[in-house]
Amino acid sequence: MTALYEAKNVSKQFSVGSRFSARGKLIVRAVDNISLAINSGETLGLVGESGCGKSTLGRCMTRLYEISEGQLIFDGDDISKKSIRQLRPLRAKLQMVFQDPSASLNPRRRIRDLIAEPLRIHTRKSEAEISERVSELLGLVGLSPDHATRFQHEFSGGQRQRIGIARAIAVNPKLIVLDEPVSALDVSVQAQIVNLLADLQEKLNLTYVFIAHDLSVVRQVSTRIAVMYLGSIVEIGNANEVFSKPAHPYTQALISAVPLPDIHKLGTRKRIILSGDVPSPINPPTGCRFHSRCPIAQERCKVERPTLAMHNSQQQVACHFPGELKIAENKMAPA
Amino acid sequence: MLEVRDLKVSFRTEQGLVQAIDGVSFSVAEGEILGVVGESGSGKTVSLLAVMGLITDPNALIEGSIKYKGRELVGLNAKEMRQLRGREIAMIFQDPMTALTPVYTIGWQIAEQIRAHNKISAKAAELRAIELLAEVNIPNPAEAIHRYPHQLSGGMRQRAVIAMALSCNPSLLVADEPTTALDVTVQAQILDLVRKLQRNHKSAVVFITHDMGVIAEIASRVMVMYAGRIVERGSQSQLFSSPLHPYTKALLDSIPPLEGPKPHRLKSIPGAPPTLLNRPAGCAFAPRCVNRFEACINTPALTANGHDAACFRVNP
Ligand SMILES: Nc1ncnc2c1ncn2[C@@H]1O[C@H](COP(=O)(O)OP(=O)(O)OP(=O)(O)O)[C@@H](O)[C@H]1O
Ligand SMILES: Nc1ncnc2c1ncn2[C@@H]1O[C@H](COP(=O)(O)OP(=O)(O)OP(=O)(O)O)[C@@H](O)[C@H]1O
Ligand code: SF4
Ligand SMILES: [Mg+2]
Ligand SMILES: [Mg+2]
Repeated sequence: MTALYEAKNVSKQFSVGSRFSARGKLIVRAVDNISLAINSGETLGLVGESGCGKSTLGRCMTRLYEISEGQLIFDGDDISKKSIRQLRPLRAKLQMVFQDPSASLNPRRRIRDLIAEPLRIHTRKSEAEISERVSELLGLVGLSPDHATRFQHEFSGGQRQRIGIARAIAVNPKLIVLDEPVSALDVSVQAQIVNLLADLQEKLNLTYVFIAHDLSVVRQVSTRIAVMYLGSIVEIGNANEVFSKPAHPYTQALISAVPLPDIHKLGTRKRIILSGDVPSPINPPTGCRFHSRCPIAQERCKVERPTLAMHNSQQQVACHFPGELKIAENKMAPA
Repeated sequence: MLEVRDLKVSFRTEQGLVQAIDGVSFSVAEGEILGVVGESGSGKTVSLLAVMGLITDPNALIEGSIKYKGRELVGLNAKEMRQLRGREIAMIFQDPMTALTPVYTIGWQIAEQIRAHNKISAKAAELRAIELLAEVNIPNPAEAIHRYPHQLSGGMRQRAVIAMALSCNPSLLVADEPTTALDVTVQAQILDLVRKLQRNHKSAVVFITHDMGVIAEIASRVMVMYAGRIVERGSQSQLFSSPLHPYTKALLDSIPPLEGPKPHRLKSIPGAPPTLLNRPAGCAFAPRCVNRFEACINTPALTANGHDAACFRVNP
């Protein structure tokens, strides 16, 4: 199977100036040499520590950010060096839904115009066709036609999120990067959106990159999961395998820290506490980037950087000792 | 510590009066963590903004009583309220950008906040800001203080705001979804910080979240809101082991499992909450409720037994 989307050795750096630093400009390595492939029709869940580069990677993939190094291949076409004009026809195929829908929706425009905007930019539809498509889209995302003339402040968080999704699917995209699309919603609305995304995926053969912190939601929606730490992928594989048999110590720590909505399990679960300094993408640790906090780090981890390697047929892991952190060890503290 | 009685908040809009909060009463004691959950748009944020005296919309009408340490807050002037906020009462906002200004570095903003309530030098305040950022696990805090909000990730901004709110060890902390933008390991550390504040300073905490796992970890009591009213309240264990209100039950059923087989579709509550504009009479949840019967055309009252629900099935 050829991938719909491929990122090859992609890096993105920011420079942050500090008036007080003798070193002057500092370089933030937000995304550091990431390679991944996404198959058509699948959902790749992207998880990892806050600040590890998930949003940056999403914005690089949709070319909202210029990448510093590497290659982006979409539908067999190298899009990494395309100019803004060359990108125009592609923009319709590659959409992004942002975490905060209200910040990305113009408060002074009616919902109808917000949804029509991508249609006006990317298609040559007549006004009548546009208005028909807007009604169709409102129906697809579960809003009613009389919502069309309202403004965004008249909607709840969940409804705004639907508007963001309607805009993203308006122009028949192939790939949508969803950056924390359900984080701000209560669990029942969250369930509605998750079901909606699944229906749309089936109906329109969409491919998703789904960024989120809520691991039970990520497990529900994802075919595969990529776990990031400090700008790199440390584990990637089939969602079921990664959740049931996480092999990287960071993934294990992450899954162990999920608060369960079950008071009977409180105290019976073991949480892996990550101690040690949280490293910065400005001066990442040598060797394995996780070694400063890894409960099973050895000398080798401080000097030699592990690369992503097959752990089994379903999982790739970047660790010298994959699967060796045992949950029964005394390094754990009760949750 | 905090006692809210029959709070009502409505907004005058072009289309009519939006009754966002319709008679909400609750109290929080010293050293207690009250969890607040509910439908998005149900009035969680608005009711706590009212407590903080932060509803600035000139079209807002606020009625009822809000007492903090016995002192009435409704009707307090802006200056008196400002003195309480920051020193005694602190709020972590749902959207960190409401608390941050884009044009100043986060270090400057945290230091200003500290200096507004403490007579310390700029240098000392800066050092304290670095300490606080380290406590919320921001990597390399001595460098991070020089960054502008847009140069931080979403979760880092949220943590900067948490650091600011915790800077004065408030006796009452109102936290509006403080950990939604954080990964679970950082979230666990933030929950520890909140618990530490509650233990060491006997602070009262109101914690809004939609993550039932977080509620299970941190809250001693829980209140569930729907369409501007409290529909259920009780201890944490009552709420999880024997939820009373059909909305609470449906909410708990919507959570995707972390283990075991994946359901093909998640359970969710069909329909949408009522518009708060010209709200229809009767139980607000009735149109979506599986247990609805004739009585539900009236408005159910919240019982007062400790574990309470506003539902005719529970309290005919
Ligand atoms: N415009 C920018 N200038 C400088 N640094 C930036 C900029 N945008 C992001 N960064 C830095 O890049 C790193 C990755 O940020 P990013 O927003 O991608 O993280 P994230 O994984 O999405 O985190 P979160 O879960 O908190 O949203 C962070 O260290 C952040 O401070
Ligand atoms: N200034 C305003 N004018 C008119 N209506 C308003 C205003 N502010 C809030 N509302 C309405 O009040 C209701 C309660 O909003 P609130 O923000 O408290 O909800 P919430 O429970 O915090 O939801 P979420 O979980 O999505 O944050 C909403 O229906 C909202 O549309
Ligand atoms: S390589 Fe070493 S330090 Fe890195 S995760 Fe594996 S065991 Fe831990
Ligand atoms: Mg992000
Ligand atoms: Mg809110």
